[in-house]
Amino acid sequence: MSRILLVDDEPNVLSALRRMCMNASAPPALDDPQVTVFTSPVGALDYLRDHPVELVISDYRMPGMDGATFLARVKALRPDTARIILSACTDMDGIVRAINEAGIFRFVNKPWSDAELKSTIADVLAHRALLAENRRLADEVRAQRSVILRQQLELERLEAETPGITQVRWSEDGGVLIED
Amino acid sequence: MPTTRASPRPDPVQTGDFGWICALYELGQTAAAGADPVQAQQHILNHIVSGLDADSGSIALVVEGTLDQLEIVAGTDLPPGVVGSQLPRGMGVFGHVVATEQPVLVNGNAAETGLPASFPRRDDRVSHSAMCWPLRIRERIIGALAVNRNAERPKYSVADLDRGQVLASLLALVMANHRMHVERDRRILELSALNAETKRINALLGDAQNQVIQSEKLASIGQIAAGVAHEINNPIGFVLSNLGTLQSYLASLFGLLDAHLAVDRARGAVPTEAIHRARALRGGTDVEFLRGDIDALLAESRDGILRVRRIVQDLRDFSRGGVDEAWDVANVHDALRRTINIVRGEVKHKASIEARFGDLPDIECLPQRLHQVFLNLLVNAGQAIEANGTITVSTGTAADEVWVRVEDTGRGIEPENLHRIFEPFYTTKPVGQGTGLGLSVSYSIVQCHRGRIEAESEPGRGTRFTVVLPMRRPGAEQPSLEAANAGAT
Repeated sequence: MSRILLVDDEPNVLSALRRMCMNASAPPALDDPQVTVFTSPVGALDYLRDHPVELVISDYRMPGMDGATFLARVKALRPDTARIILSACTDMDGIVRAINEAGIFRFVNKPWSDAELKSTIADVLAHRALLAENRRLADEVRAQRSVILRQQLELERLEAETPGITQVRWSEDGGVLIED
Repeated sequence: MPTTRASPRPDPVQTGDFGWICALYELGQTAAAGADPVQAQQHILNHIVSGLDADSGSIALVVEGTLDQLEIVAGTDLPPGVVGSQLPRGMGVFGHVVATEQPVLVNGNAAETGLPASFPRRDDRVSHSAMCWPLRIRERIIGALAVNRNAERPKYSVADLDRGQVLASLLALVMANHRMHVERDRRILELSALNAETKRINALLGDAQNQVIQSEKLASIGQIAAGVAHEINNPIGFVLSNLGTLQSYLASLFGLLDAHLAVDRARGAVPTEAIHRARALRGGTDVEFLRGDIDALLAESRDGILRVRRIVQDLRDFSRGGVDEAWDVANVHDALRRTINIVRGEVKHKASIEARFGDLPDIECLPQRLHQVFLNLLVNAGQAIEANGTITVSTGTAADEVWVRVEDTGRGIEPENLHRIFEPFYTTKPVGQGTGLGLSVSYSIVQCHRGRIEAESEPGRGTRFTVVLPMRRPGAEQPSLEAANAGAT
């Protein structure tokens, strides 16, 4: 599932982006896209408090709050969410703030190319899935490590209780060899 | 011993001299009418020489701007080069007469009078008897007249000297009159040259002013370029994206259509494979969704393209006004709406623009120039606002004037700066945000309409600019359209 949140003060941009994400016949198809749209950053932040998403794409110039400020808040609220700015505004200060404060993954210019934006989204989602997978694997490793650690402690206790008990040597036919 | 004598008051003019005097007067008139001055003076002298029954004569005038520097302006029997030459001061009979302001009669050889010769004479025409009078206008000596008789002729008498004095007075008037006319002509020439130069400089100034206005306009467009780009790139972005989506929608629909056509064509013996394919495609294509979404997609795209068209039109209208813009009857609201359209993109992220338009009649104005004034005021209002502000544009009428007010909720202008804002190059904006010419140019545009522009401001609260324009261009005729309307009602 790819949950995507779109924020732009222009409803027609939101419609076009939603179509693009949902349209499975134009490659690359996204994995089960769930698109939510907001025309105001404040509404989007409210929504995010209760609804985790994989990706947020935001405009830069919006009434009330600019895209860099909005995505910085998103980062604080949901650090795992991937963040992209899609904007017709090319003012350098805005780009620098978006990168430094909001830690965005990409800055995409308007007008955008569907193919490029969509593969960027696919890349970001894949990257994010990879990170999630990484984290899951690391958790698994950590869990397994604790099982191993518990076994190790038990062995150490037995060894202390009965020295040598962990040093069992086996004969070729399966018998236990006991040294004199 | 030659006689020299100062004359008492002259005898009255004899009645027989009237014809001669009239001719002299006419000569003076001809000279005054702009004839060649050298020739005119020569004609006058010839007339005098014949009137006094002399053989030769000469006229010297005091050079303009000096007291006693004499120039020979006319002469008979003089060697070439003498007419137009200046006499050394106090030199000769002329010098003597001008210095003493008294007429002189010289009989016999001039050298024996003790007066040095004024200028060289031809040797064969040695003067035998001569008279010389100062030319006087209101106690001021303007020159001197001399006539000579040759050796074989009777000598002049004191009576001749006295009678001649009257002629000299007349001549003085004619010469002064002539000189005045020449001077007047010279002044007129000088004045018209000066006038032409003033006109040329005025035209240069006008050109320079127009160029300043034009470059200021371009600079102000530069201020809103980012906003305009935003307003254009947004619709282009979604229209382009929609077209891509539409293409893939159509590909699905045509795929479905092709599969159904294949089934339809086979009719009697439909291969089950084809039916399955058609069913599978129909199952995979949400036709109802496409039907609705294509409608919405086309409507939104059309809206986007119309917005691009409008902003490009507004920009073109704004920049079309060349250097020589013509007066036109136009509605201020049109200019305001266009200007608001092209500024909106620049300010919409930090301020909303509220239009509270009253009822305005069309006014006589320079519409493109007014665009420029409104653009400056709106850009300033936008730049004064940091965030979450409001720009209110209101209009109305008062007597035979219309007013346009642009109010912002921005940072305001300090009282000590408020009186300087219309000065050219005065700006408090950071580099790149203003030329310092916007308000100064706006001021001159409004002045050109015989209107006025006023600013009020409260630091921290906002600023209000009011532009007041007369409905009719002062001094211009009523436009024919008005007259036609009045006639029809």
